[in-house]
Amino acid sequence: MLEVHNVEKVYGEAETAVRALQNINFAVKRGEFILIVGSSGSGKSTLLNMIGLLDRPTRGQILVDGADTSTLDDNHLSSFRNSKLGFIFQFSNLLSDLTVLENVLLPRRIQGTLDGATEEARMLLKTVGLESQLKKFANKISGGQAQRVAITRALINKPAIVLADEPTGNLDSISAETTVHLLKSLNRKLNQTFIIVTHDRPQFGDVDKIITIKDGRIVEGELEASMA
Amino acid sequence: MDYRAQIGIRFITRRKGSLIAASLAVAIAILVVQVNSVIFQGLYNAIVRDLTNYRFGHVFISKRGDFITRSDFMLVNWLDRIPYVQAAAPRLDYSALSINSTVNGQLIQDVNVPVPVLGVKPEWDVKASTLYQTVKGQYVSYRDSIVLGALVDRDLGYPQIGDTVKIKFKDQFGNDVLKRFVIVGISQTAGNQGNDNGVIINIDTLREIMDRPGQSSEIIVRLNDPSKADYVSELFLSAFPSSADKFKAQTIEQAAEVQLAGFRSGIALINLVGYFGMMSSAFAVVTIQMMQVSSKTRDIGVMRAIGAKRKDVLLVFIFQGMVIGAIGAGLGTAMGIGYTVYAKETHMTFQGSLALEVQYNWMGIAQTDIMAFVLAIIASIYPAFKATKLEPVEAMRFA
Ligand SMILES: Nc1ncnc2c1ncn2[C@@H]1O[C@H](COP(=O)(O)OP(=O)(O)OP(=O)(O)O)[C@@H](O)[C@H]1O
Ligand SMILES: [Mg+2]
Repeated sequence: MLEVHNVEKVYGEAETAVRALQNINFAVKRGEFILIVGSSGSGKSTLLNMIGLLDRPTRGQILVDGADTSTLDDNHLSSFRNSKLGFIFQFSNLLSDLTVLENVLLPRRIQGTLDGATEEARMLLKTVGLESQLKKFANKISGGQAQRVAITRALINKPAIVLADEPTGNLDSISAETTVHLLKSLNRKLNQTFIIVTHDRPQFGDVDKIITIKDGRIVEGELEASMA
Repeated sequence: MDYRAQIGIRFITRRKGSLIAASLAVAIAILVVQVNSVIFQGLYNAIVRDLTNYRFGHVFISKRGDFITRSDFMLVNWLDRIPYVQAAAPRLDYSALSINSTVNGQLIQDVNVPVPVLGVKPEWDVKASTLYQTVKGQYVSYRDSIVLGALVDRDLGYPQIGDTVKIKFKDQFGNDVLKRFVIVGISQTAGNQGNDNGVIINIDTLREIMDRPGQSSEIIVRLNDPSKADYVSELFLSAFPSSADKFKAQTIEQAAEVQLAGFRSGIALINLVGYFGMMSSAFAVVTIQMMQVSSKTRDIGVMRAIGAKRKDVLLVFIFQGMVIGAIGAGLGTAMGIGYTVYAKETHMTFQGSLALEVQYNWMGIAQTDIMAFVLAIIASIYPAFKATKLEPVEAMRFA
């Protein structure tokens, strides 16, 4: 469903140019749970940005369901991100001027499909244990709670792919554990694809695929290394 | 509610400092425009009011470079029959060569600034003008009674009611005529808009002195509906065509053009100052909105990442501008109206000058409001446009 062909990303120009990614090739199937790992500065976030259509590659293509995304204009990319992708970022993700419930509903309001949305949002928030926090403003809840709200928001539009950049990065070990558990159980239950950047591979246990990045390249042989 | 409106409103209302600063900038600009209008339009209206009441009436009938020779009785009668006319009265203008107070011997004699002498027909004049109300004592009545303007009285060393003055005139043939009058009243007006620098005597006495029996300089006409001034002027001129009589019939604005024109351009200048104030309030809004945008970079990135389009981001900040404009306009209008009510109720004056004639200019207030509101939105366009240029990857950056 997702194919990455010869993707290259260069930041800046001429002497100051940084080649953050090069020669990236891989494919993702529906329902896969994939980790992207690598040391700091290796290009993990850059790759996730490309897959998430938040930024365009300098060269190469990203195909979704066989369609080349490089031909889409900004408005189409926005719609695409809204309906097909769910994002969980490492740092505060929520709009602090909206409540928990309003944050979760935002993708639906952008999509313009509000019918039954509030009920769905309440149910999702219940599954992450936040049913009592709906009316709280997003800056009045804990980091772990905020991360769970972000996960709920990433799921509200039933995206085909959920992308997360170090979703447990700034959580304590117990919150991190619940978050990992939540993501994996959602992946099993909803058959959505999860692509997760992490520093902490062991935390996730068994996964379908691991992509290891080093200096902007995929390190061969490490692919599928953890397949049981 | 539309989510862009909601986010825009939340962004600004949850930032009390920015909201207060931006809407105060808008409000103060409106207040300045309104205070200007209350004071300067009020002063203008007050001058028009006093010139109407004391000197020109609502319609001012005169003759090009000449005296009116037609019977004042006939003209006033004709005018009185028009339903909009409340009263009309003839007046005769002249000047004195000198005035001499007989109690103390003090003399006013200045060839360059002769003392104006106004002849009135008392029984008609009190209906067509309120000049008589400015008099302490009595208005002119019998043939040798005189009302001194307060400034004349001062320059003569404050002679009292009952004292006499001697006035020297030149008659039609250039001969000096000396005449004695008994002071019956002193006329004083705020801002010297009345006859403070002249004297008032009976028109028939003045006609005799000038040797112009039955003649007048002007007929002042008081209307019960001032908006009909043009109509009455035209009616008069059609009955007494200027081809035959060389009559002029002017509204107060035309008759007092000399006195008012300078003031009007002053008001225009003051308004310009007000509008510059508005422009600078718009710049304040631009600055605050730019701050808002940069402090919301991450939120904008998140919105974009989860699917908001550039135009949605634009709308968020336009809605913010609307909130600023609406609150600022509301606040400014409330303060402005408060000031207007205060000025009107207290009959505001400046250092004993004439009381402002304050009117509620709802059209003007609405115009200023709409302008301020629209300006706040226009001021938001550039910052909002800047916001749309932020890329969705901003959401991924460190906080
Ligand atoms: N906007 C940018 N402009 C210039 N260089 C950039 C930009 N973003 C990233 N880079 C560079 O690209 C390389 C990859 O960065 P990236 O953020 O993808 O690393 P990462 O693997 O996510 O690191 P970390 O684990 O620390 O998050 C780094 O050398 C970084 O300095
Ligand atoms: Mg990173």
